[in-house]
Amino acid sequence: MKQFNLNFWNIFTSFIALTFSVPIILVFLSLFFGFNDNFDHIVNVVLLEYSLNSLLLVVGVSLIVLFIGVISALLVTTFRFTGSKILEWALILPLAIPPYLLAYVMTEMFEYSGSANSIFRSLNLISEDAALPTIRSLSGAIIVFGIALYPYVYLITRVALMNISKPILESARVLGSNNFKSFTKIVLPLIRPAIFAGLALVCMETLSDFGAVQHFAIPTFTTGIFRTWLGMYDLITAMQLASILLLVICLMIFLERKQRANAEYSLSNDSREDSDLIQLKGIKNFLASFFCLVPVLAGFIIPLFEIISWSVEITNIFSIKFIYASLNTMLLAITAGIITTMLAILFNFNLRISKSKHSKLINDFISMGYGVPGLILAIGITQCLTYFDLILSDIGIIVTGSLFGLIFAYVIKSYALTNNVLESNYKQFSTSIDESARILGASKFTLLGNIHIPLLKTGIFTSVLLVVSEVVKELPATLILRPFNFDTLAVTVYTYASEERIYEAAFPALFIILIGLIPIYFISNMIRSSKGLN
Amino acid sequence: MIYTTMKSLKFLIKILFFSLIVVGCSPVEEVNVYTSRHYDVDDILYAEFTKKTGIKVNIISGSGGALMERLKAEGQNSPGDVFFTVDAGNLANFQKAGFLQPIESENIKNIIPVELRGPNNEWVAIAKRARVIFYNPKSVTEDEIKNISYEDLSSETWKGRIVVRSSSNMYNQSLVASLISNLGIKDTEIWANEFVNNFARTPQGNDRSQLMAVANGLADIAIANTYYVGIMLAGKGGEEQRKAAQKLKIAFPNQDNRGTHVNISGGGILKYSPNKKNAEMFLEFLLSEEAQTHIVNNSFEYPVINTIAPHPIIAKFGDFKMDKTSVADFGTYNPEAVKLMDRAGWK
Repeated sequence: MKQFNLNFWNIFTSFIALTFSVPIILVFLSLFFGFNDNFDHIVNVVLLEYSLNSLLLVVGVSLIVLFIGVISALLVTTFRFTGSKILEWALILPLAIPPYLLAYVMTEMFEYSGSANSIFRSLNLISEDAALPTIRSLSGAIIVFGIALYPYVYLITRVALMNISKPILESARVLGSNNFKSFTKIVLPLIRPAIFAGLALVCMETLSDFGAVQHFAIPTFTTGIFRTWLGMYDLITAMQLASILLLVICLMIFLERKQRANAEYSLSNDSREDSDLIQLKGIKNFLASFFCLVPVLAGFIIPLFEIISWSVEITNIFSIKFIYASLNTMLLAITAGIITTMLAILFNFNLRISKSKHSKLINDFISMGYGVPGLILAIGITQCLTYFDLILSDIGIIVTGSLFGLIFAYVIKSYALTNNVLESNYKQFSTSIDESARILGASKFTLLGNIHIPLLKTGIFTSVLLVVSEVVKELPATLILRPFNFDTLAVTVYTYASEERIYEAAFPALFIILIGLIPIYFISNMIRSSKGLN
Repeated sequence: MIYTTMKSLKFLIKILFFSLIVVGCSPVEEVNVYTSRHYDVDDILYAEFTKKTGIKVNIISGSGGALMERLKAEGQNSPGDVFFTVDAGNLANFQKAGFLQPIESENIKNIIPVELRGPNNEWVAIAKRARVIFYNPKSVTEDEIKNISYEDLSSETWKGRIVVRSSSNMYNQSLVASLISNLGIKDTEIWANEFVNNFARTPQGNDRSQLMAVANGLADIAIANTYYVGIMLAGKGGEEQRKAAQKLKIAFPNQDNRGTHVNISGGGILKYSPNKKNAEMFLEFLLSEEAQTHIVNNSFEYPVINTIAPHPIIAKFGDFKMDKTSVADFGTYNPEAVKLMDRAGWK
């Protein structure tokens, strides 16, 4: 029996890993097809600009998400201040608005006669024919991504902070550490893996985004990829560019891993309770509230009101089309969430048990899927599925253009999310638990089912929900892989936006936000109840 | 043990597949349309076609390049019947890659002029849009705008006065491709270098935001497609856009020589179309008076048959001479156009 288990885990994970690597490998294969004139043109004329803009974007966004995400997570887990109970979960809300949607909204607001300018004019903050700087610039994009993506850092950091055990902090205090010292010496090293996990997600999301940078017309790597593909009609060169981008993402994953390797473990069986929170007073209280409120306002409340104001402008309200699009979106998102999380559990479990370098490498490799621009990933998948159809043609299965391909794409695209969450969750309980269980005769299945899964509960829920919110927002891969007559909400919004009828996108956009709120509701509930249980 | 596990695994996988696959093999008559034109108003048109003929219209939309990759991957097994797109370059490109087959319908050949069809009738135009100049009459004199051509926009006079969207936009790519076709690469590049120097701001936003910029006095002239101003004037973008559009005037470039650059929405029948007859009926329907009336009144494009007039808002702009540069050239020169705009620093 034991012999079989070993085989099952290794064979199964390797098989799945291989399947999911194929589309990514196909992108890399382009590097061996030779470089043509178009590639020379790109290297000589635009590559420097693409690289510089992408770099500035990533650095700028990183600074913003670290600043907002880490500080707000620290504030709500350490102190009590006006509105802190609400802000604690409200800080996740911007996760419901994808960067491209926020970009559309901000653009409208900062248009010459947009609502931001109108408000500033009516308050006499700027003169009647003056206008605020336009948001369509590199710095505008940095702000948009920063506001849209900081919840990744906030969320993961906060979960890590809550899992730091009380005794550790108390001993520090007993030993005479002040707050700052216990933060830099004890807390920071403990939450560092979480911060970097969140940051890595943000960077990958920023680098592979297309919708927002295209809308702002900023020449970055992704705009370059699509320009080469759709303008120069040259897919190979586009894939070669994508490979360069992927190599950068590899490097980022590697760096993040290195950070994590130095991480220390702590036992999380005794979280802090509300009564431990320090009550802030006076100006400190105000500043803490203000600091946490601004990102919520900018990333959620104001955009929401802006979209609602669009819906007033249009006459044809919503149709059966939106209901179908919402149902489709939900179905896809939940299916992909469950499948991806199951895979991440199996992989991380296998990694933990076997500790094989080989499986770790594979795991890191599939995590790169997150950074693959959706359209390029979709091409890889279409090619895979066609071969698959040829093999299966005797039983008449056609997977090309089916939901299968779409879910395949979502799993690859969001694997890194689930992996990061589960991996850092796994880090937080010691492997000695496994050893004790195995000594007491538990099989691997028992160990996984009865011991790990209950311990990973927080991580599992977080990861399913992160995938759901990712899928609801996913656009480029959905556009190419979806079956006939199958629209999702993101596709509907994109369609209106590209037809320059953004006001009519109001309802599908609100639906995206609404569906995005469901996982957020559960995440905050779950975090709260895990606090209550302890 | 391993054997039974594998067997049950196989079974599971099969169930998974069947449950995920959308059943596409129904006995009803249908036509599968691959489209990169996804206007809401077209859905009404398709529904009308189904009502008339009983043929169900299945839609898959995406960018031209994405659809091409999908078709390539599907090969002979492709369920696609019709390809429908908003950019002539794309059409020409599809035709060159051998994805389309000649349209046989005599009816289509009779009503559509030859320049609005592929060289061997591989595709046919469904609607036209002109890429024109909109200007603010308060800041642009009659003298300046009179008999203007695209070529004139590189002149010193327009320094810091022009807004246009990014060069990633296919309408700009087609426009520059048409210039390459008429002037040659060298002269077009000289033109583009000067033209870019005349920009009032770094290209940003869509056609409509260029029009808004001119209406709000941020620039004097904008290059944009005709139907955008139609949508704005009709109030479909809100009251504020309607007011802004009323401040603008239109100028059709190159009326003295080859005419104004026109791009088309068009369609063709895919090479491996399993429902060829339905595909031809579908195209014929799109060219019928009824469908053309629907298109001009809802998307504000120009019709391709002469028995139908454009929407009154568009008709008010008056008649103009249309550039008859071969649409196939747009496809041929599109890659060159992109690289040329890169070199000229047109963001």
